[in-house]
Amino acid sequence: MTLSAKHLSVRLGGRHILSDVSLEVSSGDRIAVLGANGAGKSTLLSCLTNELRADQGDVLLAGQALHRMPATERARRLAVMPQSVTLSFPLRVHEVVALGRSPHMDEVRTRHWQQEAMQLMDVWHLRGREYTGLSGGEQQRTQMARVLVQIWSCREKGGEGHYLLLDECFSAADPAHQHSIMNRVSEFAGAGVGVLAVMHDMALAASWADRVLLLKQGEVVAFGPVELLTMPQILQVVYDLPGLLANDYARNNRHWMIRNPANPAPAERLREYSYA
Amino acid sequence: MTGLALRTAPGTSLPGKATLALTALCSLLLLVAVWALLTGPMTLQVNDIFASVWRTLQGESLAGSADWVVRELRLPRVVLAMLVGAGLAVAGCVTQGVFRNPLADPGLIGVSSGAALAAVSVIVLSATWLQGWKGLTGPWALPLAAFAGGLLVTLVIYRLGTRQGKTQVALLLLAGIAINVLAGAATGVLTYMADDQQLRDMTFWSMGSLANARWTEIGAVACLIGLPLILVCTRARVLNAMLMGEQVAGHLGFPVQREKRLLLGAAALMVGAGVAVSGMIGFIGLVVPHLLRLSVGPDHRSLLPLSAIAGALLLLVADTLARTVMAPADLPVGLLMALIGGPVFLILLVQQSRKWI
Repeated sequence: MTLSAKHLSVRLGGRHILSDVSLEVSSGDRIAVLGANGAGKSTLLSCLTNELRADQGDVLLAGQALHRMPATERARRLAVMPQSVTLSFPLRVHEVVALGRSPHMDEVRTRHWQQEAMQLMDVWHLRGREYTGLSGGEQQRTQMARVLVQIWSCREKGGEGHYLLLDECFSAADPAHQHSIMNRVSEFAGAGVGVLAVMHDMALAASWADRVLLLKQGEVVAFGPVELLTMPQILQVVYDLPGLLANDYARNNRHWMIRNPANPAPAERLREYSYA
Repeated sequence: MTGLALRTAPGTSLPGKATLALTALCSLLLLVAVWALLTGPMTLQVNDIFASVWRTLQGESLAGSADWVVRELRLPRVVLAMLVGAGLAVAGCVTQGVFRNPLADPGLIGVSSGAALAAVSVIVLSATWLQGWKGLTGPWALPLAAFAGGLLVTLVIYRLGTRQGKTQVALLLLAGIAINVLAGAATGVLTYMADDQQLRDMTFWSMGSLANARWTEIGAVACLIGLPLILVCTRARVLNAMLMGEQVAGHLGFPVQREKRLLLGAAALMVGAGVAVSGMIGFIGLVVPHLLRLSVGPDHRSLLPLSAIAGALLLLVADTLARTVMAPADLPVGLLMALIGGPVFLILLVQQSRKWI
């Protein structure tokens, strides 16, 4: 079972936002989508969540066209974490998290899951606070708890067929929380959930992803193992970086890859790259 | 404390506080209804009231003048006040939820004045341009026209105020002012075309009054307010999800566009029906949900039923005061509501403006 995009093209106002992008998210994948501003990362995500129909190409969830699937059915398998969520009226943190169960209509019976999710995201102590009064990072952690609770049954039944899409969502979290959140996300991936995260921070991507999709002006520059981030020539193309800076970033990313759970033997891999 | 609320009441969907508030408001509403039935130029006893209400429910014929006063004058007015109040408060709750702003009251964004303009057009033009309309729809002529007017304004406002799924509140309110001005001007033109009797009917529209309550109209209004009200209450989950924006509600598996059309249509129906029988009564949709959110929070599962009861209560109190404070004159209840609602609107505006700066 996979979530796959086949030859997606999106045109808005005569401009190509995405051209011929294909990818596949399988069970347990940790895919980071990277690229400069305006590379089409968020548009790709909108297509994968069925917010936007691509002009060409299709998105398939378990072989079924996403736009033909009933919305509730989709929401039970595919949880999406947006960049930021502002609330028009002050719900409390535990109420926001409970909303994650709306596709399942079992907010009351799953209180223990909601509690675990809040503890996992370190917002349990904030549960009675009004969401609108929280800091940006706390809001993001609350939203993450809501998103995780939407597919929480994965932790018990295995995550096969469930997907988690994250959209540059930890920009406001502090470094400690950024990494702890990504570790939690990795646990979900370990349980079989396919994760795709649009990311801004190369270091975070290098320390977390097992594969990276690099976009530039709506086209795929490369789609492969996370090691791509340690190759200066690729970073130079993707981000239009001057050579020296690209070298620095690549070296930096190599360093961050030590922490990557996908790295069974980081030392050997590193040596291979530094002598290459 | 909220942690407690999380652990307790596993079987119920309403938090304890909301259940308590609902019980309290319902009993208060009953008491106030009895008080309203007792109030008036003719002095009555409590058991007269209960006897008359009982006879009404049994469908027995009128017995004596006291019975007549209760059953033909006071009871219809009380029932109508509760219906209209409940409808307007819930409609306010819905438009605020959909437009994601506490200022998006049907009166302020022009829905009520659109409905009133349509109703006035039916009154004035039914002999000339709109000849067929009354024959076609009978007793439903006014409510349906008002509904159409309200719906039309809702659609226009929605188009004007929403860009890429996000509602610009300032734009929404300014468009509301423009529509209020337009509807006012059109009503003014109609005033010049009207004869004496029509003019009298129209004054009642512009200020809002429940003085013309008749059982025949109440039947139609009960359907046109009751059904959408029940429908809306079943949509509390969507409204809750939409508190986080339409995008997130979509991620949570709600067919957002369809639900939004349904909710706004239901709100326009409730406002239209209310306007058709009682004219423009503003601010209920603004004041009631606001006060309730302050006390029980914005969860629509409790907010919607509570709004219905509290709206009924508020309009009933206001109407009873309106017909007694300057007795024998019958003050239009719309004026009284404006006196209460105006300051609340200003307070809300000040709170909101802090967000905009």
